[in-house]
Amino acid sequence: MRWYVVRRVLWAVVATFLILSVTWGLLAVTPNPAAEQMQFQAAASGGSAEAAEEAFEARRGLDRSPWVRYQEYMTNMVTLNWGWSQSRSQPVIEAIAAALPYTAIYSVPTTILSILLGLAIGLYSATNQYTKSDYAATFFAFFGYAIPNFWFGIILLLVFGVQLGWFPVVFDSDIPFFSLGMARQLVLPVVVLVTGTIAGVMRYSRAEALEYVEAEFVKTAKSKGADGYRILTRHILRPAAVPLMTILVGDILGIFLAASYLVEVVFGIPGLGQLSYNAILAQDTSLVLGTTLIFTFVSVVGNLVQDVAYTVLDPRIDYGDR
Amino acid sequence: MPSGNDRRGTSGTAERRGRRGRRDVLKLLGATSVAGLAGCSGNGEGDGGDGNGASTESATRSVGGTYVSASSVDAQSLNWLTIADATSGSFVTATLDGIWAIKPNREIFPLWGDYSTDDGRVYEIQLRDNLEWGAGYGQMTADDWVYMIQNVFQARPNWSGYPNAADWFRTNPESGQREPIPVEQTGELTFEIRLFEVDPSLPFKPILWRQQCIPRGILEQYVEDQDAEGLQQDEELNTLAYAGNLGPYTYDTWERSARYTVTRNEDYYLQDVEGVPDRFAEAPYFDQQTVRVISEESTRLGALESGEVDSSGIPPDKANRFENLPNVTVNVTPQPYLRMIVYNMRSNGWEPFRSKAVRRALGFAVNKESVVQNVLRGYADVAQTMQPEWSDWYDDSQVEEFGVGDRYGPEETRTRLESALSGTEYGYDGERLVDGSGEQVTLSIYYDSGQPTEGTIAEFVAQEFGENAGIDVQPEAVSSSTFQSNYVQTSAPDGTDPEWTAGTFNGGPRDVATSADSWDMSINLQFNTYPFTPASSKGFFERRGGINFYGYYPDEDISALYEEATATTDEERRRELFGEAFGLISEEQPFGFLAMPSSVTGYAESVRGYDEEFNTGWDSQAWYFA
Repeated sequence: MRWYVVRRVLWAVVATFLILSVTWGLLAVTPNPAAEQMQFQAAASGGSAEAAEEAFEARRGLDRSPWVRYQEYMTNMVTLNWGWSQSRSQPVIEAIAAALPYTAIYSVPTTILSILLGLAIGLYSATNQYTKSDYAATFFAFFGYAIPNFWFGIILLLVFGVQLGWFPVVFDSDIPFFSLGMARQLVLPVVVLVTGTIAGVMRYSRAEALEYVEAEFVKTAKSKGADGYRILTRHILRPAAVPLMTILVGDILGIFLAASYLVEVVFGIPGLGQLSYNAILAQDTSLVLGTTLIFTFVSVVGNLVQDVAYTVLDPRIDYGDR
Repeated sequence: MPSGNDRRGTSGTAERRGRRGRRDVLKLLGATSVAGLAGCSGNGEGDGGDGNGASTESATRSVGGTYVSASSVDAQSLNWLTIADATSGSFVTATLDGIWAIKPNREIFPLWGDYSTDDGRVYEIQLRDNLEWGAGYGQMTADDWVYMIQNVFQARPNWSGYPNAADWFRTNPESGQREPIPVEQTGELTFEIRLFEVDPSLPFKPILWRQQCIPRGILEQYVEDQDAEGLQQDEELNTLAYAGNLGPYTYDTWERSARYTVTRNEDYYLQDVEGVPDRFAEAPYFDQQTVRVISEESTRLGALESGEVDSSGIPPDKANRFENLPNVTVNVTPQPYLRMIVYNMRSNGWEPFRSKAVRRALGFAVNKESVVQNVLRGYADVAQTMQPEWSDWYDDSQVEEFGVGDRYGPEETRTRLESALSGTEYGYDGERLVDGSGEQVTLSIYYDSGQPTEGTIAEFVAQEFGENAGIDVQPEAVSSSTFQSNYVQTSAPDGTDPEWTAGTFNGGPRDVATSADSWDMSINLQFNTYPFTPASSKGFFERRGGINFYGYYPDEDISALYEEATATTDEERRRELFGEAFGLISEEQPFGFLAMPSSVTGYAESVRGYDEEFNTGWDSQAWYFA
C-alpha cells in the first residue's frame, strides 16, 4: 500500500510537469487578443501598430526567446516562486492565497450540504421506491440538475435580492468571514450550487442503495429485528458507499474546478474560478500556470484519496501487490 | 493660473453646436478621469467649468458619504507606466489628477499645470507650485517631468514597455526620420516641448491631456539598468504611495476582482488654488469612493436598482425600465464612437464596393433613423460622416446626408445602384440584383458574436439591403479576436513582394494584400471620431493608412485637407478645412455610416454633479450627494 502511494505521488509529479508544459506551450502559441487590440487602437489613432506590439512584448517579457521563458517559468514553479501576475499586478501566490478563501467559503458548505442531503434523500427514495415522496425527490433532483446554475442564480438574485431585498445582490468582500452577514450573502450561491450538485449524489446513491434494499443480508438483519436506521446506515449505506466514493470525490473536485466560475461571476465572488478564468482570458502565463498547478494538485490528491478510501470502506480491496 | 494660455490669437474655445459628453473619449485615449473610476460620466452642473453659478452650488455641497460605482471589469495595475486599459487608468486618475483636463466645451482646465505657446510649435508647460509628492519625494518639479519623458517615454528601446511611447516621437522633416520630440527644462517649474512642426491640437492629445508623472527618485532606481521587471513590481508605484496631494483621493485598498477603494484627500492641492470655480474649494465631496467589480450585467443592474451601488452603465434595451424607477436617474451622454458598415474593397471582398457610386447608392438602402429608434431604442444619433453632428468640426453645409428622409428607399437605391453598376456584369432581374450568371448577389456581413445589439443591426441591414437593393445579405457571427486576426490583419501572400506595406492592418495594395478569410461587410468595429482631435482619424482615409484594412482608395485627396488643417493655427480656418474634409467623406461614403450610440448611465437619485455633456466627467471631484 505504501509503495503504491509513493508511486502514485511520483506519477503525480510527472503528470504535473506534463500538464504545466502543455499549458505553457498552448499559451505561448495562442495569439493574445489584448496585444492585437492595442495594435489596432494604435493604428486607428494614427500611431504605429508595430510600436504598440513592441511595447506590449516588453511589458510582458515576450521579447525573450520562448526557451528562456519556458525555463524561467518552470524553474519558478519548482522553487515556489510562481512569479508576477501581469493581469492583477501582484505575486501569483498572493493572488491565489487571496482567492482561495472566497472559493472555500461557499464550496465547503455546498459540498457538505449536497453530500448530506443527496445521500439522505437518495437513501430515503431507495427505501420508499415508487411512492409519492420518491417521485417528489426525483423531481427535485432533476429540477436542480436541469436548471442552469447561471440562470438560476440570476433569477434568485432578482427575486430575493432586488425585489424582496432579503439578501444582498452583490457579494461584499469586506464582511468578516465568520459572521452572520457573510452567512446571509452566501445563502443564494450555496442554494444554487446545492441544487446543481445534489441531483447527482441523490440519484446515484438511490441507485446504489436499491441494489442492497432487497439483499439477503438486509432481509436477515430485518428478521433479526434491526431497526430501520441501523439497516439503512450499516447494511445498505456501507456497501453502497464504495462505488459512491467516485461521484463524491468528483463532486468535491467539481466545485473547485468547474462550478465556481459561473456562481462567482453571477454573485461577484472574487474566488478561484474568476481568478483562473480571467487569467486565461488575459493570457497571464504565470497566473495560469499557478492556478493550473493548484487544480492539478487537487485532482491528483483527490484521486489518490479516493483510491485509499476504497480500501478503508472495503477491506477486500488491496493495492499491496501493485 | 490661466487656462490654456494660447497666445496664438485664437482662444481655442469654440462655440459648441451641441451639448453632450462622454468618458469614452478619455477611455480610448488612455486618459480616463475620476468619472471613469466612478463608472459614470457627468460634470459639475454643465457650466463647462467656468465657475458660473458655482457659488450657489457650493452652498449646497457638503462632504460625506461613500460613492459606490459598478464596473464590469477590474483594473490590471495601478502602475500607470505599464498599463493601457481604461479601467486601470480610471483607478489611477482618482489619486493623480494629471497635467490638465478638457472641459466639455473644448477648453483646457489646468490641474497640475498649464501651457502657453506663441506659434503652436513650442509649448511651455508651467507647473503649479503647491504640488507635493507622497512618500517623501518632495515637491513636483519640471525635473521630474523631463527625466521621465527622456528616460522612459523616449527611451530606445522601449525598455519599460510604456504603451504610449510612440506619442513622444515624431517625424523630423529635416531628417525624414522619427525622432524623440525635444523636451527641455527651462526653470524649476517649467519645461518646453519643441515640436518639429506646428500642431495646435497638441494640448488635446493624450500625450499631455491628463498626463501623469512619477518622481525622479523612483524612476532612477530602474533607468540605469533598464529594469522593466523592477519598475513593474515597484511597491510605491503599485500602491500609489507617491500620490501625495496630487489627486482628490488617496489609495486605500484594492481587492482584486472585488473592490477598489480610495479615501478623500484632505490635502488636495486644488483646494488652495485661486482662480478656479468655488466648487473646488472643498473638493472632493465624498469621504470615500469605491468601485465594485461586478462582471455579470444582471447583477450590476440589480445592484443599481436595489441601491447597493450609486452608478452603473445601462444597456440601451434596459434603459427604459430604469427611466421609470424613482430611485435611479438615467443620464444619456454622447460618446465618440461610430457604428458603421465597413465595406471590404480588397480583392477578397465584393469588387463593386470600390466604386464611389455604388457605395453612395447603398447609402440610400438603410434607414438610419430606424437603426437609432428601433434597434438602439433612441439612445443614439444618426451618423453621416466621421464626426458627430454636435462636434465643432461638423459643417452642415458640407455634409451630404444618406439614409434619412427622402434620401432613403427602394426606388432611390435601385435606380442609383443600377446606374452605378452599368457596364459591369451586375444588373437587376426584377427586384433582385444578379450577377453575370443570373444568380442573386449574396454578400456576407460580420458582427461580433458577443454583442446581441450588433446582431440585431446586422439582421436589420440584411433586411434593408434585401428589400431596397435586392441584395441577399447573410449575417455571420464571429468573435472579436477571430475577426481581428482573420479579417482585419491583412498581408500579401507568401512569396509576394508588395509595392508597399503600411503595417499589420494594411499589408499592401488592395489587389495584393488581403485578410486570411474573405468577407464583404462588417459592423464588428466601432471607430473613434476624435471630436477633440479630429486629425487623429486621418489614417482611415489614406490609401496607405495604417488602419486601412478595408482597402479604401479615396477619389479626393482627403488626407491633404487633414494635413493642412493640422498645420493651421487659425481656428476658423481649421474648422473650415475639417468641415470640408468631413463633407468629402460623407460624399465618398467609404463606410456605410449608421449611428453614434449614446452612453447610458444610471445614478442613484441622490448623486449630483453629472450632466448630459460631452466629456462631462472632467470635474467629477466636485460631485456630491444631495
